[in-house]
This record gives sequence, C-alpha cells and structure tokens, in this order.
Amino acid sequence: MTAIDSHLTHAELDHLVQPHRVHRRIYTDPQIFDVEMTRVFAASWCYVGHESEIPEPGDYRTTTLGRRPVLMTRDRDGAVNVLLNRCTHRGTVLAVEAGGCAKRFVCPYHGWTFAPDGQLVAIPFPADHPVEDRSSLSLGRLETASYRGFVFATLNAEPEPLDCWLGEAREAFDAIVDRHPGGEIAVMGSPQLLEFVGNWKLSWDNAADGLHATFAHESYNTLGEMVDTETVLARDPGSTPMVSKALRNGHMVVDQRPGIPQGPWATMRKVPFREPMETTLVDAGDADLLDLATGSMVNLSLFPNLLFVGNQLLVIEPVAVDRTRLQLWLTSAPGAPAEIDLLRLRVDEDFVNFGTPDDLDMFERVQRGLSIPEMEWIDMSRGLPDDVGAGDDATIHGPITSEAPQRRYLAHYAKLMTNPAPTRAR
Amino acid sequence: MARYDELAGLLGGMDSRPQADPDLSAAAAAAVVHEARLLDAGRFEDWLAGWTSDAVLWVPLSAPTHPGTDQSLLLDDRRRLAERVDWRREPSAWGQHPPSRTTRVVGSVEAWPAPGNGIVTRSTLLVDEFRHGRHQALAGYQIHELVGDGLMRRTKILVVPALGTGVRNPSFLL
Repeated sequence: MTAIDSHLTHAELDHLVQPHRVHRRIYTDPQIFDVEMTRVFAASWCYVGHESEIPEPGDYRTTTLGRRPVLMTRDRDGAVNVLLNRCTHRGTVLAVEAGGCAKRFVCPYHGWTFAPDGQLVAIPFPADHPVEDRSSLSLGRLETASYRGFVFATLNAEPEPLDCWLGEAREAFDAIVDRHPGGEIAVMGSPQLLEFVGNWKLSWDNAADGLHATFAHESYNTLGEMVDTETVLARDPGSTPMVSKALRNGHMVVDQRPGIPQGPWATMRKVPFREPMETTLVDAGDADLLDLATGSMVNLSLFPNLLFVGNQLLVIEPVAVDRTRLQLWLTSAPGAPAEIDLLRLRVDEDFVNFGTPDDLDMFERVQRGLSIPEMEWIDMSRGLPDDVGAGDDATIHGPITSEAPQRRYLAHYAKLMTNPAPTRAR
Repeated sequence: MARYDELAGLLGGMDSRPQADPDLSAAAAAAVVHEARLLDAGRFEDWLAGWTSDAVLWVPLSAPTHPGTDQSLLLDDRRRLAERVDWRREPSAWGQHPPSRTTRVVGSVEAWPAPGNGIVTRSTLLVDEFRHGRHQALAGYQIHELVGDGLMRRTKILVVPALGTGVRNPSFLL
C-alpha cells in the first residue's frame, strides 16, 4: 500500500474520489491540500502569464505556482524564463512587486545578484566564498513552454510536452485566440484579485457547471429581462444545444455558441459608454466586430489553474485549504479598432459586479456546509453513465447539465494524487 | 474619450492640490457624510437620486490610472447605477442577500472650487463590512465632484489600495 502521506493511503484516496461522489475531506483536509500543492500543482503544467506582459528584455512579473513564489522574465536574448523567486543563498524572495523591468535581481539581504535568465552574476566579497561552480547557485528554474503566447511552467521532472498535455483542448484554445484579428491577443496591465473562504476546487467545480447559471445567477438574468435582453446564462439548461465536454488531463469545455444563434453581442445589456463606441464601429462598417467586445462563448478550463471565461483569463491561486485567490486578467485585441478594447473594459465589469459575487457566495456557503463531519459526500452523478466511446482518453460530450466534466477532472486529480510524478527545480 | 480623460486627470492631479478652502470643505463634508449614511442605512434609492444624469462612479484597481487603459472594479454611468440598485433589491442576488452591514468612517475632508460653481472634494474613508458572521475593513480615499445648489454627485472616484491584494466579495463598495 502506497502512503500518500503519514495519514492518507492510496486506497483511502480511491475511497474519497469515486465515480459518482467525492468526499468532503478533499475540500477540507489541510494535509491533503499540502500534498496537492506538489502532486497536482507542481507536477502539472500551470499557466504563469502571457508573453505580452513582458515585451522587452528585463521585463518580469511575479505570481505563484502551487503557493511557490515564481518569476516570469524575459532575458536579454528575448527568451521567456520561469524561475523560483528565491535567492539561492538564504532563501529571500527577490522580487516583491507585481512586475516591472530589471536588468538584475539583487537580493536586498546580502547582495547576491542574478540575471533575468536566473544566472548568478555576482556575489559580494567573492574571495570569501568557496563555491567554484556558480552555475550550481543559479535560481531554480521551471520547465517552460508557450502555446499561442500563453506561458506555462512545471516542476515535473519528466513532463509530457505542452502540446500533448493540451491535447483536444487546443481546438477550443485556438478558437478563442483565432477570433482576434491576426490571431493577436494580449493581456492588459493588472488583474482584479478576489478571494473567497473556500477550497480551490470549488471554483473548478463551477467552471463547467451549466446548471448553476439558472439558479446562482438568477439575479443576473433578471437584470437582462428588465431590458428585454436574454443573457447567455438565461437559456433553459435542459433544452439548449450548448455542449459540455470533458477532456483528457482534466481539461473542460463548455461551448455556448450553439445556444446563441444571434451571436454574443446580442446577449449583452447596455454597458456604460456603449453608444459612442458602437456608433463609431457601425459607421466605419465594423458592426460585425462587436461580437469581439464580449467573450468567445467558449469556456475553456485547463487543469489545474486557468479558466477562459468571457474575455477574461481566470487564474486560480490556492492560498490555504479553505482560502483561494482568483486573478481576473482581461485580454485585449491589439489588431482590432480601439473601441473594441474600450468596450471590453466595461463588458468585463458587468459579470464581475452582477454575477461573480453570487458565485463567491456559493463557494463560501459550500465550504461552510462541508464542515459538517457527519455529512460526508458530495454528489457528482448527474448525467451518468458517461459514454467514454473509444477509450479512456476520448472526449466525453454531453448536455451542459451533465457533471461529466467534474467527474473527469476529479478522476485525473485522483490519478495525480495516487501516482505522484517526481518534481524538481532545474 | 473626454470623460475618461477628465476622470484620470481628477485622480492624477489630486495629490498636488493646494491647501483646501475651509468654508467649501465644511459644505462638502456635510454632503459626503450624508452619502455615507445613506449607503450604511441601505437607502439606495435615495442615494441614486443624488446623482446627476451624466454621473460616473469609478472604482479603479490602483492609482494613478486611466479608465480606458486598465481594468477597474467598476465604472458606472447613471444607467448602471440604477441597475446596481435594482440588483441589490433582487432577492436572488446572493452576493448581497443577506446584505452587507457597513459602517463608513469619513475623515480629512478637503474641498476646492471647481468650474461651473461646483466643488471637488477629497476625503478619507474606512468601510467596515459585516456579513455571514465575518467582517472586513477596507480603507482608502474618495474624490467627489459635486455640482449645483443641491451638491449633486457628478463624479465619484473611490480608491482602495487593498483591491490590489485580493479582497472578499467587494460588492458592498460603492
């Protein structure tokens, strides 16, 4: 029997994640959370940032990967690096700002100095220091790869190539990027940061949950009804032709496009300052571009930390077993007329103000409910049996009321937790 | 857009303003404190009535910034302010039902004359929110542009530095 850690065995984890139900402990047990930070987050490809955020040599941005402080940098050769944000001397975090431009990262404690590619370039009073091979004291490095400008990194010692890991998810990924003129997509300056008192998997459960829109987002849909606008969330989940997909590696897709034949822009209420921008686009013969102001209507979730929702990138940062931070980044369309990004700014606020608060409330209510030891199980059986078709790797298609995406990502989660991949810094 | 530039200019120029006018500051304090009381009491319809037709409420994520170049928590015109009040009255707006109970502490009110017989005022603000058995306190400052004899709100900019670190459900921030 393989021990997951001192108190949780392989067989016990199989018991906690079953095909039709999962146990409350995977949301409430701090020791399971600690194991997840390595076996799930460090061992998977995680989204770190977008290349457009660091256009020039020396540009950098900080974030976390499974609670580890990391740096995304562009070095003087133009290459993108993802490094552990930790001085190799005493462990001091080197960069504490959200981002910036630096030719060197100088540790404020004892002056060790690193280049943006992670190389140790200077130690004060080097004659006193016995280490001859300075390369052994470079910053810890993560395996890094990009897809369409999106930078992913992993500490997995032998990771699957990024393209393979994305697999079938590339179809939705490409659809999201390719709708932008010239295939150009960028990320705007700074994210909204929201926290909730709940486990990170609650946001994951929600991301491909087509049923909650009818109930949790009733108030958002009511605002639409007040001005005769049928929001994208107001469709009957039992009869809409929207499709949910559960992909290999825990990735998930909700394709809303079949349910909105009149196009995305028709689902939006009037946002502030809409009229002058809309008029400019219509007068220039660009009315067909208005759909770009709202989301692609393809919600793509890349396990374990990136959700594409609307024009946002929603990055999930676990903080503690019952605390999660959400980074909400807004994407822009550099190849489109300026009015599109101006509209995106106001469209972006709409759901964040009238939809997201309801999601956050549900997450916190669930976490409180899961505190009851005598009620152990969370039901995940809607839509069973799953039709896995050609094999375990095949995509499962279903109505948006199916919980197949949740079952599929949790099965992948259980696999990562019980068959741990070795992790290491390069 | 001119209105966006106006907002960015008002925010960006605040720190270099001279010492305030004492009489205007007293008049502004009454208006700003009244608004805080309306919000704490949940009198949102009365609060909505105090805005001009060309009103903007802006809560940027940082300062200085420009509303056309970076995300904000919100930038409402009069239409969306009205929607916000409608949303808060919806029983299914779970993020505010039950509603936050807030206590606003307004301080350091300064005011200066503005074009068209208006007033520009800056004040510090501490908002304590109590909801679902927990509370959080957020501090910042607010800039108001008040116009006409009734000192109607034409512009309000609310700057809360903690928005840059992650806060729980901020839908009580107005």
